[in-house]
Amino acid sequence: MTDLPGSPPQSTLRGWLEAPGATSPGQARAQAAWRSWQRLVANKAALAGLIVLLALIFLAVFGPALTPYDPMAQNLSERLLPPSGAHPFGTDDLGRDIMTRILYGARITLMMAALVAVIAGPIGLIVGATAGYLGGWTDIVAMRVVDIFLSFPSLILALAFVAALGPGIENAVIAIALSAWPPIARLARAEALTVRKSDYIAAARIQGASRFRLILRHVMPVCLPSVVIRITLNMAGIILTAAGLGFLGLGAQPPSPEWGAMLASGRQFMLTSWWLAAIPGAAIMVVSLAFNLLGDGLRDVLDPRDD
Amino acid sequence: MAVTDTAAPDRETDSDTAARWVSLAGVVFRTVLSVAVTILGLLALTFFIGRLLPLDPVLAILGDDASQEAYDRMYVSLGLDQPLWRQFLTYIVNSLTFDFGTSLTSGRPVTEDILRVFPATLELATVAMILGTGLGIPLGVTAAANRDTWIDQTVRVVSLIGYSAPIFWLGLLGLTVFYAGLGWVGAPGRIDIVYQYDLQPVTGLYLVDSLLAGRWDIFQDVFSRIVLPASILAYGAMAYIARMTRSFMLEQFGQEYITAARAKGATRRQVIWSHAFPNIAVQLVTVVALSYAFLLEGAVLTETVFAWPGFGRYLTTALLRADMNAVLGCTLIVGLIFIALNLASDIFYRVFDPRTR
Amino acid sequence: MKISARTGLAAAAIVAATGAWAETPPDTMVMARNIDAISTFDPAQIGEVVTNEIIQNTCDSLVSTDPADEAGVVPALAKSWKVSDDGLKITFDLVQGATFPSGNPVTAADVAWSMQRVLKLGFGNAATLTEYGFSADGAEEQFVAVDDHTFEMNLSRPYPSGLILQAIASNRVANVLDKALLEGEAVENDYGNKYLTTHTACVGPYQLRQWNAGEVVILEANEGYYGDAPKIKRWIIRHVAEAQAQRLLLEQGDIDVARDLGAEDLRDLSENPDIKVESTPLHQLYYMGFNSAEPEFEDDRVRLAFKYLVDYDGLADTVMKYLGVPRASVVPIGAFGALNEEEGQPFKLDLDKAKELITEAGYPDGFTARLFVGTLPYVAPIAQHVQENAAKIGITLNIEQMANAQLFSAFRGRDFDTIMLSWQTSVPHAHGMLSRHAVNPDNSADSGLSMYPTWRASWFSEDFNRRVDEALFEKDEAKQIEMYHQIQKDHMEHGPFAYMFQLLDTAAMRQNVTNWPWNAFRVYYADVEKG
Repeated sequence: MTDLPGSPPQSTLRGWLEAPGATSPGQARAQAAWRSWQRLVANKAALAGLIVLLALIFLAVFGPALTPYDPMAQNLSERLLPPSGAHPFGTDDLGRDIMTRILYGARITLMMAALVAVIAGPIGLIVGATAGYLGGWTDIVAMRVVDIFLSFPSLILALAFVAALGPGIENAVIAIALSAWPPIARLARAEALTVRKSDYIAAARIQGASRFRLILRHVMPVCLPSVVIRITLNMAGIILTAAGLGFLGLGAQPPSPEWGAMLASGRQFMLTSWWLAAIPGAAIMVVSLAFNLLGDGLRDVLDPRDD
Repeated sequence: MAVTDTAAPDRETDSDTAARWVSLAGVVFRTVLSVAVTILGLLALTFFIGRLLPLDPVLAILGDDASQEAYDRMYVSLGLDQPLWRQFLTYIVNSLTFDFGTSLTSGRPVTEDILRVFPATLELATVAMILGTGLGIPLGVTAAANRDTWIDQTVRVVSLIGYSAPIFWLGLLGLTVFYAGLGWVGAPGRIDIVYQYDLQPVTGLYLVDSLLAGRWDIFQDVFSRIVLPASILAYGAMAYIARMTRSFMLEQFGQEYITAARAKGATRRQVIWSHAFPNIAVQLVTVVALSYAFLLEGAVLTETVFAWPGFGRYLTTALLRADMNAVLGCTLIVGLIFIALNLASDIFYRVFDPRTR
Repeated sequence: MKISARTGLAAAAIVAATGAWAETPPDTMVMARNIDAISTFDPAQIGEVVTNEIIQNTCDSLVSTDPADEAGVVPALAKSWKVSDDGLKITFDLVQGATFPSGNPVTAADVAWSMQRVLKLGFGNAATLTEYGFSADGAEEQFVAVDDHTFEMNLSRPYPSGLILQAIASNRVANVLDKALLEGEAVENDYGNKYLTTHTACVGPYQLRQWNAGEVVILEANEGYYGDAPKIKRWIIRHVAEAQAQRLLLEQGDIDVARDLGAEDLRDLSENPDIKVESTPLHQLYYMGFNSAEPEFEDDRVRLAFKYLVDYDGLADTVMKYLGVPRASVVPIGAFGALNEEEGQPFKLDLDKAKELITEAGYPDGFTARLFVGTLPYVAPIAQHVQENAAKIGITLNIEQMANAQLFSAFRGRDFDTIMLSWQTSVPHAHGMLSRHAVNPDNSADSGLSMYPTWRASWFSEDFNRRVDEALFEKDEAKQIEMYHQIQKDHMEHGPFAYMFQLLDTAAMRQNVTNWPWNAFRVYYADVEKG
């Protein structure tokens, strides 16, 4: 936020952001974003969520440098060791250091989150915004398709795709994303409906903007905040669904240190070596909670209904 | 809240405002048509997914050891040699009469199997919804009334934890602590084996059946077993309901009539429960209905951990064992339940919502 | 739910409700087991271990496995038998006075019809018979009811009679079914197959009372049983898919026996004074298969190299504790003609040796292959163990875990690179394994001999085909054993598979289960006792 073209320099950046009147559209937008940011920061829970997620990103990038172990290196003579100085989270049934695996797994978890956002978000946004804006048959057909996908058991949909594409975390995520776009489309459509009759859309249309351009430049940006919130809230679901697929043997493939797979294989040791399941379980819970808290905070900040 | 237990918040109804201006007959016609199209689409998707799965129903029947001739014979007798469009047509016709064929893995008609396993899920989901709604709404209202205070934050974190924990982990943990450790709840399974023969199934809901039979002891046993899995499912539902309630209440608090009521000297309690709450009841019904529909799909992970012979487990087993008839039948039932509850809440919305009247 | 003993149970129920009562009724065995695999009770169709155990206790065959010696047979519905001099005819003398639960008497006609129907229905179990020259077309001449109590089995070749008794006469394909009843229940000429999916129509110590898929199987003692009356009146086999839940139930005394526990839980439970853990070796081998149609695996040395990639003892003490013992021979310990423990497991983890072998085979830099595995708890650790060691010699294995239905499909369809699964034989004789794991009558794709694992692996050896056949018909027992030993040794070097473990069946039970008689082929429910 330090480099904002077309804005006269103020004495401080903060002063500029909090100036009573904006002198340029750029400043106005920056000020709005700043106010949202401050409200988000004021929400301690959401801030905690954000910090956890930033920490996750940090670990995903630098984690492997923080541990002396190899996440795949097995050692049958050191299996099922409880947490200790040498192994802060203990070792698993093949003698691998659990903390190392958790650190490497952070990258996978983040990749899953990103993949789903990249697949489900745009599909949902495009289908929803187009249907909502165009209305008529496009809307009817699109919404029936959404209904059909929604009424299909999500588990079966994911299982079917995984079974068809072959097991593996990438395919599992694609399968989950394919079952995650319909609700996003619904949401985007609802938002699009609220703006399709608005003056500025009409104005843009009179100026000769094409339908494509209208949807892309004017309708979608309106839908975007709520879609982003929804995706954030969905992340927890995605991670847990992937863990659930792991429970059924269809998630990440061994020896991947994906958290859900670790949890699933650790469950047979719940009563004998609790840390095998508890550590990845806790990791999943903390990250899911962080996503939920952040999404919830974003909703408070961005959803105008609350004000 | 893994696999089947998370998407509850994803499902929202939207009342198409334009439709209100069409005559009632028009609405009915359009609704029927759209439901019919949805069902047809659901059938098509189900069929397509069934084809997509690289599972072999012939092997599922014959066994791994069967000879090629026996294989070919069964292939033909299952109609798999027919052209795809004809198989699809047969499937549509049979499905519309609720004839899903015989389950390859239980040897019984799929419809009969569903009637047997569905009550188990229905009972679990119902108890979970009662718990989830009973706790979720007051928590949501409290959080809204104390917005941004520590109460709000606590409710937020506690409910979201329920939403973030892997459910089978929570389930096993719960069993270890409350069943094995403290002995507060009953063993995994729906009913004690000594009662298994003793209870004549009337509704298939053991809580109801035991009361109908006047057997308080059986009721206690069944209740002690359902309470833990139901609580765990309820935790997820509660989180969602509490979040939505809070959001709806905040929306009401921002309205002028609340300010007016406050100005007239209404107490805080009156403002919340007599003024604001009735206005969100309709929206809440939708939320609750959809969470319920969602639980009725059967929570396979919970059912696995708690040895609960329910719908989710049946469906998953069928899928993993290539029991195509059962998979297609169950999928359709789930779809129909969802469509029906969606429709019901939509109608409810149109009829009762003060803003749409 | 028509239950004769309702009142008794109701009384028990009242007792249960009045106190903190966590014990199962004294005349009832409550066993927790994953029974998802059950799909039918038709002996002609059953292919699953779980169902086989139940059918063995509900349906008697001509003979039974000797409880004292699993390699021997004892009379069941046939009280005696004799073999013709040319070895081509076995005549069975049936017990008098046995009746089916329907009231129909058990006759030789029922026996002949039951065995013929296995061939005519053509499910996987037909292979048990076709392997020994029986065929659907010749069934009427091969299985003959001479009179009400005399049944003849006509063989196409003079197979060793002991083998035929073990492989066929004590197998579920010789379960004697109620012909009159089933002909009445037949639908579209299915020999009562549909009826038998949910019923039993045979004579045995127990009868199937109820089966709710994914919930429970209930067996009741058969009141009119011709043999000794069972000691336990009722068996309740409860479906508990989650092993941890089984353990909790057992510790709390809500069940008597748990059958699907993992190694670590068994280790813990063996130290619990209320619980005992019992094991018996099965004639079931866990092995790795290679697709010999692929250039890498066509070379014997590559397949052999994999046998040096497993730390057998390390795994046996940890992951496979209570679940399996190392075994590299194709013939399990306990079978006639098997190599002894030492000779049957000459391999150990030796990465240099493995590297040397693949280098000789022309793959000094290794290669990449897929490894398909199932979902049993011990599978993933073994697969990862092999994967890690393979990586050390340059071979990249990509593991794909899948449901069993899918795994079998891939194997049968020859659509795999490497695969891990288990194979169980019902015959305590070297031929039981060799006839499928060394013999491949015709390797062409058209022959579709998918019941032969050798065919699935595209592995064919004229030499093994001949030697297995010669050994089978060798009359001099010492010489025969010697031939089997040599075949096993050669199979280790050149065979299509890398055997890793002979699996154990392990059950954990409450101390009050005073007698739990079992062996590799049977659990004798009728002799189980509770104190």
